[in-house]
Amino acid sequence: MSALRWLRANAEHYLLVAAQDHIGRRYRSERPRPPRGLKDLFWLRLFAPLHARLPWSFRRRLLHAMPGSHRQRWASLSDPPHRRPPAV
Amino acid sequence: MPHKTLVVGGGAAGIGAAGGVKAADPANEVVVYTEFEDVGYSPCGIPYVHGREIDTFDSLFLAEKEAYVQAGIDIHYQTRVEAIDLQRKVLRVAGEGEVAWDRLVVATGFVYADPGVPGGGLDGLYYVKNIREAMEWDKVLDDTRTAVVVNASPLGLEMTTALAHRGIETHLVHPGPWALADVVDPDIIAPVQDSWAELGVHMHFNTTLESFVGDRAVSAVRTSSGTIPADLAVICTHKEPNVTLATAAGLKTGSTGGLIVDERMATSAPDVFAAGDCTELPHGLTGVGVAGLTGSHAYAQGKVAGFNAGGGTKRYQPVYVPWGTPAGKWVIGGASFGETLATALGLPYVLGKAEGISRARYYPGTKKILVKLLAEPEELRLIGAQMVGQEGIKERADFLATAVKFGLTLNDLASMENVYSPAIGALNEPIVLAAQNGVENASAARAG
Repeated sequence: MSALRWLRANAEHYLLVAAQDHIGRRYRSERPRPPRGLKDLFWLRLFAPLHARLPWSFRRRLLHAMPGSHRQRWASLSDPPHRRPPAV
Repeated sequence: MPHKTLVVGGGAAGIGAAGGVKAADPANEVVVYTEFEDVGYSPCGIPYVHGREIDTFDSLFLAEKEAYVQAGIDIHYQTRVEAIDLQRKVLRVAGEGEVAWDRLVVATGFVYADPGVPGGGLDGLYYVKNIREAMEWDKVLDDTRTAVVVNASPLGLEMTTALAHRGIETHLVHPGPWALADVVDPDIIAPVQDSWAELGVHMHFNTTLESFVGDRAVSAVRTSSGTIPADLAVICTHKEPNVTLATAAGLKTGSTGGLIVDERMATSAPDVFAAGDCTELPHGLTGVGVAGLTGSHAYAQGKVAGFNAGGGTKRYQPVYVPWGTPAGKWVIGGASFGETLATALGLPYVLGKAEGISRARYYPGTKKILVKLLAEPEELRLIGAQMVGQEGIKERADFLATAVKFGLTLNDLASMENVYSPAIGALNEPIVLAAQNGVENASAARAG
């Protein structure tokens, strides 16, 4: 697994766990089990709160900086579909 | 000028691609290589045959083999492609040697993530994919008393429901706090889990798989919550792009592990296209790469990849991901982001939520529908939706994905017209009610 894929897989997993905890609490539903071990603690206690403090515009720039299909030509990403007036 | 295009993979993307090559120019030559005995069937239908909602596996085939011959598509069944040489533009094919191509379409699909626990080589571990194997497993299910479904993924939801329908004692083991927790919000999945409980399903959430136990075949599944005796285990781990062949050849992958493609479904190498679960596509809202979408995505991508490989020009679009599936006694669905995913990404949102009905209140068979809409807080443009009900979920999910794509706002949806006909639609459309609630919530938030 490439470093990039490892980073995304872990960041995605733990951000989802943090979100499930938040949403689970809101809906008084089951919540994820508490963190166990250093890896859980790092990602859940350090990374996720730090990530949450970054403004979306900054996070978006970070995401866009990663290599992937979004860096290729997609006309509708650079010029998103927009609403038009009625046809007649 | 006609091209010779080779397609690696005979799933939805591969067959779509072969059709696309021919659509671009009927004189094009196209050869499809598949390791399996069949092509062009719906693996997504397999759980419903197991659950006895569909009578026979035969119904899952889209066409007879002869139909592909008639269409000029040369399919090499049970044929393994061993290597791709991008420089010399040849495939090394088992039993055939080197085969040259003008254009290549990689449609190698997905593999299930390795559960990564001891006992993974035992018999009795069922990976739902190949229809011929599914036919054999269906016979095994006749004598199965207890089964464990590993992971409440979309397939895990379907298999749990299917096995329970079949009268098999079913245990669902999932590391998350609720089923499909990476996608679905807890209020949407709650009725599904209640209905599973009614069907006798044993749910083990926040539970980690530790090992498969048995001598030759699995006899139990060991988890962090204890050991579950089992006649078989259905492995429903997440789908990973099957890119072994492609990356060995030097094609580039993105952060999902899927092949990088552009809007023409062209890869990082000239004259090589890719489609389906082996690729990653940008999400239309965030631009973030996503992989492991649906069969309809794979087929549509295949058509675009094949058409372009065949000399035509077509564009695929970033995805907004409408989705839906029956689960338990309910149908769940949505588009783009729910609350969990939006929170994980750190996307701010306004929420609108309402419970409505699927038909006129007095019409027999009326079902409740819970609709939840998420919108960005400034202009209230829709960023996602989730729903649970028993009918009309799929159509609403399709519509809401288009609403997200074209930037419709909660105000637009709050005043939209809707069909009223007692047997098929209620006076008050649930989407309208949810949007009105969202507009009120946004106003209250601004005032407060």
